[in-house]
Amino acid sequence: MNRLLRLGIALATLMLSACATNNASRAPDANLTKLKTFYVVRVPADERGIEKLIAARLNSMGYQSTSGDAPTPAAPVDAVVTYQDRWMWDITMYMIKLDIQIHDGTSGAILAKGEVMRPSLQRKSPEGMVEETLGVIFK
Amino acid sequence: MKTAVRHTALACVIAAAALSGGCATPATSAGMVATPPPTAVHQVGSDVSVAVSGGSATSSTGASQISDDSFAQALTDSITKSGLFAKVSPSGARYKLAAFIGKVDQPMFGFSMTVKMEVSYTLTDTQSNKSVWSKDISSEYTAKASEAFAGVKRLRLANEGAARENIQQAIAAMAALTL
Repeated sequence: MNRLLRLGIALATLMLSACATNNASRAPDANLTKLKTFYVVRVPADERGIEKLIAARLNSMGYQSTSGDAPTPAAPVDAVVTYQDRWMWDITMYMIKLDIQIHDGTSGAILAKGEVMRPSLQRKSPEGMVEETLGVIFK
Repeated sequence: MKTAVRHTALACVIAAAALSGGCATPATSAGMVATPPPTAVHQVGSDVSVAVSGGSATSSTGASQISDDSFAQALTDSITKSGLFAKVSPSGARYKLAAFIGKVDQPMFGFSMTVKMEVSYTLTDTQSNKSVWSKDISSEYTAKASEAFAGVKRLRLANEGAARENIQQAIAAMAALTL
């Protein structure tokens, strides 16, 4: 029975500790170096303020960024940022996946996207997830 | 004590079995082919080439994804079925249709799985090298538990449905063009 217990625990641990991944891609001819001003749209279901974390990270990267509930910014910007955050519970709640899209401020077309997935054992803080995702997009 | 250990062991084995119960399979091009529009499309007497980027490969332990190749094949087959262009050429065509898969928003789990997708399309005249049409198209599809019992299959069906709907909208929009 102990052998069965060890086997079960090992299998469950293996399944819950998949590898962390990150990746990003850009639309053909997309030039992110031209972008200076950003507006981050809050996801209606997000009550954790991820939009503020994204805007703050963009500001710390040297861009001008604001955030809000409205789907479009009050003043014209170079790019509009959207995101999807996914959360799981394992002892505590943690962000397992974050997707960020950078849209052209005029046409709305997606210029670039990035995603980071971190299972429980490789979890990061929301700030860390935002930093990593924006990092792969603007690499 | 022995009973507690036995129950824990069984719970772990069942959890592991449930987690590994099905391997993810990628969205198939056949499942993403759009049905031709009910109204006649405006036929363009030139050929077109298709290029897709932004897709992802599926790993067996991850979630079902939409690859560049399968989306390109579905787009090619859908255009051919609709008769929108004279033919789809691998390269050197008069028009080039570029599609960037910008968003595939998938649930982590659920009985009904809804996938939301966003694709940026650009149609370029290769002779003048000018963009003649561009559009960001959003679509979504919900695969219900009645469609597939296994979650991995339900997610694949949701991916395919969202992609099919997206391609359908793209063809309808291009059909309205005068080239």
